[in-house]
Amino acid sequence: MMDYSYFQVNEQSLEVEFPEQINVEENKLIQNIARELIEQKAVGVTGVIPAYHTLTVNFDFDLTSFKELVNQIDEIIVNSNELTKTGRSIIELPVFYSPKYGPDLEDVAKFASISVEELIKLHSGTDYFIYMMGFLPGFAYMGSVPEKIAMPRLEVPRKSIAPGSVGIAGAQTGMYPVESPGGWRILGRTPVKLYDPARPQLKYRSGDYIRFVPIDAEEYRRIQQLDAADKYSLKVIKEGDIDNG
Amino acid sequence: MANFVRVIQPGLSTTVQDLGRPNHQIEGFPESGAMDRFSYKLANLLVNNHRNSASLEFVSTGPTLRFACDSFIALTGGKVNATLNDQPILQNEVVEVAEGSILKIGPVIEGNYGYLAFSNGGVITQPVLDSRSTTLRTKMGGLDGRALETGDTIPIRDSVVMPSLSSRKIVIKSEKVTEIHFVKGPHWEMFSKKTQEQFQSEIYQISEQMDRMGYRLNGPKLEVPKKSLLSEGTVLGNIQITRDGSPIALLADRQTTGGYPVIGTIIRADLNRFVQMKQGQQFKFVLTDIDTAVEKLVQQQKVINDTFEKWYAGRYIEPIGPIRRNAIKISRLIRANK
Repeated sequence: MMDYSYFQVNEQSLEVEFPEQINVEENKLIQNIARELIEQKAVGVTGVIPAYHTLTVNFDFDLTSFKELVNQIDEIIVNSNELTKTGRSIIELPVFYSPKYGPDLEDVAKFASISVEELIKLHSGTDYFIYMMGFLPGFAYMGSVPEKIAMPRLEVPRKSIAPGSVGIAGAQTGMYPVESPGGWRILGRTPVKLYDPARPQLKYRSGDYIRFVPIDAEEYRRIQQLDAADKYSLKVIKEGDIDNG
Repeated sequence: MANFVRVIQPGLSTTVQDLGRPNHQIEGFPESGAMDRFSYKLANLLVNNHRNSASLEFVSTGPTLRFACDSFIALTGGKVNATLNDQPILQNEVVEVAEGSILKIGPVIEGNYGYLAFSNGGVITQPVLDSRSTTLRTKMGGLDGRALETGDTIPIRDSVVMPSLSSRKIVIKSEKVTEIHFVKGPHWEMFSKKTQEQFQSEIYQISEQMDRMGYRLNGPKLEVPKKSLLSEGTVLGNIQITRDGSPIALLADRQTTGGYPVIGTIIRADLNRFVQMKQGQQFKFVLTDIDTAVEKLVQQQKVINDTFEKWYAGRYIEPIGPIRRNAIKISRLIRANK
């Protein structure tokens, strides 16, 4: 049983705190509590924010209370052995790794003392777990990048990073859904529109895995055109799903 | 009759707001929604709307609008000298508006944010992710994710029905705010005893960096804990201490997660007063506990609920407002024949 505690943040918010670490098992438990609260339509819960080691729960105190929610969450955690066994969703995201779209590609390769080809192979060779969403709509904090290429973020952040840019910051990796300032080392770009204000539903959520699939310039253009015409959907692989319900 | 209001002058940054989309913070969408929730709810109550009906929120300078249909409106929040067809109108009470009327709100004289609610369901733009609230940063909700512009049409419903019309008013005392209450934040214990005390004894001032995301505060810099933190979910009213030791209060459009230590959280009952403080205004942070914070919020909501119940109970006592569609037309005919 994992150690955890509750903290009441204000009249209508609480935080469940687990040990401060970046740990897939711990985070999966947090994601599961969040999903359970949503799926059970827990009375009075107005919104949840899972993060690396915390879960923020906002509630309406006319409908529920801190004590009531503590009991509910305790119960979810007790039954969580069942939950964590459910399978994983891997979402394939095409990325064009090139100096044109990845201004830090060569620097990171130099940092790791490897070729750009090897860097691409290493970065795209791992399935990354989405620990949390934050900073921007659809900005996924993912890990963990192979230690060898885990270059720290830029000393001075860039004023503008193009939407779709894929980058790393130490052991973290992620993509910029919209144009934004940022300090992550950019390795490439996905042709897929990750955030569209007209249709803001996101293509992935925390608890999912992202698998970067290297593509070339031609494929980049092809997918970009399909995506613009709304004829492209990301490939989702369901793995080891033992939840038959 | 067309059911909209036309924007003649948009004001500084007028947006459609309701209670926001707290259920989409899990995907990284800011909660958004009205900055001053008390004034926002009051405006809806005055015009007999659901508490989550969308209104117009204006800041510093309000819009000028022409009504293409009949409506009842209420203006709450920051103090303005509004006129309807060049005649002054009062805030915090229902005002009947006939088709063709021009409402001019003008500058906000006290406070920052004002609310304009329309009867019969408020502004009825298409909801985006369960809310009509505008988030300018993500270009989402309201009118194409942006502030009002001259010539825009804002969809509302025609409305000539308002029960207990004449009693729909409330007196809101304006008060000088010098204290803002807070409860201990998740990282309170990370700060030294000295810093905790300093935070409560110093005088803080609203800086010029103030918007819907948050207000940065000027004042003596606090000592920041050395330890760096993993990002955590944010809560409305969180007071973060940034790397240079100055506090930022996180407000409606805040990022959903943050990595700065949170020393405290402004209590909900004081948040409305806090967002209405002007640049340069000074105040002190005063520590309280959750039970007191809950009690204060309940008391504040009670004011609204009691008022509503009084109106509801009195809806058949003279003078009765227009409660049928034809009531206004009939009363106009009677007036015309006098």
